[in-house]
Amino acid sequence: MSRARWVTALALVVALGGASISARALERLAPAAERAGQLLYLPNGKHLRIVSLGHSSLLADLIYLWAIQFYSEYNTTDRFRYVRHIFGDVIAELDPHYIDAYWLGAMILTIEARDLEGGLALLDLGIERNPGNWILPYLAAWECNMASNAECATRYFEQAAAVPGAPLVARRMHASMLARTGALDDALRLWVGVLEDPDSDDVSRAIARRKVREVRAEIERSALRDVIGAFRISNERLPRDLAELVRRGYIRQVPSDPSGQPYAYDATTGRITSAAGRVLGEP
Amino acid sequence: MRAPRASGVVTAIALNTFREAVRDRVLYLLLVFALLVILVARFLALVTVGSEEKIVKDFGLSAISLFGVAIAVFVGVSLVFKEIERRTVYTLLAQPVRRWQFVVAKFFGLLAVLAVNVVLMYATVAIALWLEGASSIELLPAVWLILVELAIITSFALLFSSLTNPILAAVWTSAVYVAGHLAWSLRLLAERVPPGVARWACEAGYWILPNLDRLDRKATVVHGLDVPAAFLLWSTLYGACYTTLVLALACVAFERREFR
Repeated sequence: MSRARWVTALALVVALGGASISARALERLAPAAERAGQLLYLPNGKHLRIVSLGHSSLLADLIYLWAIQFYSEYNTTDRFRYVRHIFGDVIAELDPHYIDAYWLGAMILTIEARDLEGGLALLDLGIERNPGNWILPYLAAWECNMASNAECATRYFEQAAAVPGAPLVARRMHASMLARTGALDDALRLWVGVLEDPDSDDVSRAIARRKVREVRAEIERSALRDVIGAFRISNERLPRDLAELVRRGYIRQVPSDPSGQPYAYDATTGRITSAAGRVLGEP
Repeated sequence: MRAPRASGVVTAIALNTFREAVRDRVLYLLLVFALLVILVARFLALVTVGSEEKIVKDFGLSAISLFGVAIAVFVGVSLVFKEIERRTVYTLLAQPVRRWQFVVAKFFGLLAVLAVNVVLMYATVAIALWLEGASSIELLPAVWLILVELAIITSFALLFSSLTNPILAAVWTSAVYVAGHLAWSLRLLAERVPPGVARWACEAGYWILPNLDRLDRKATVVHGLDVPAAFLLWSTLYGACYTTLVLALACVAFERREFR
């Protein structure tokens, strides 16, 4: 090998090493916290769609894949600043039917960024653009449920259950949420619907059968509590037992719980309990 | 001596064009690239969260479309030029072969190459999806529309190659591809400019340019959404009519061309 070639090869190795070392040094100098700032300049999906020349769905995939890597980088402290922009304004504009992008964006917002409102806004966008899809309102309902917002969860479960072709689990969850919010009559109506639906599977029917008993028991207990309350106002004391309510004409007969046993009554506190009630989560 | 039948001439030249194009190294290179992209799609599917099937479908359809366009442009513009450069066109046209037959045969020869390529690439995508446990049948309407789009692009490649040199022809054909996908914007522009020549020019441009964006149903089939049969029929008719029109212009241009 001639001397010139040796020099060229050496220069190449030195240049490669120098570039590698300086690149690492620059990487260290650029604070991780500032990395999210570059996302601000990512154009809106409406504009990217024009330049994609019919390949907007593929472009959405590429940005989605990149977003997964970006949001998996836990060292970037301000990575949640533009989540809604990336998933809502860019990916969703490029491909409005990209269901995974809506739920992943919403999951990042609600779980990691603790931004329930932002997550629900992203899911609402997906629901608006994909009215035939039940999974997005279903996921929104679970986000609300995890945030202990039963009213919000009920609304989304109802929306999911109303989508044609939605599985029975959406109706079951809607009924459960209604019971949790105290709308027992509506919950009972839904559970009876699941029980009598010829399309119900065996598991759903078994769950519905149990739930109908529980909700009926809860409705009866609630009615009994009202009667006991009325008795207490009139007599300035609690009834000694449930039979006293019959004797004094408040009710016609003492009802039995779904297992056929009379409800247990505590004359000192006025509490009504049953086996079905314990299943509902009460002592 | 009886003159050969036009269909026989066209078939013979088209078959020859097909064989020549299949032997073309550029064609093989593009095929390899298409297969590579599909393999890359399989790899990318591993680094995603959900959507593996969608990503494979998107990459597959886009690869079929982009590589098909690349073949149509780069092979299409050189078809006529190579015959002139090698002076084989003189031998051919000295036979009882009409110039329009030559152009039409070149078109069908290349279209056959494209069809074979599209089918091979679709088969690769179908295998990749089958490995994922997914179906590829719903992609067929989009694949068909890609072929319709490629027919239009090929006709433009032949028109421009009949008029000018391969480099300019490639640039012009690529420009038609880009403009065809942006034709809808002329309609928007027409609504925003004041009535007059500018609006008329925008409207005219909208109707004259091939509306390739209308033929794009990749994003629809990827999500399993329905492409109505009527849409497919009208799109095919539009593509056939548009291709015939451009091919007729290519024949006229080639008829008027002087060989020295």
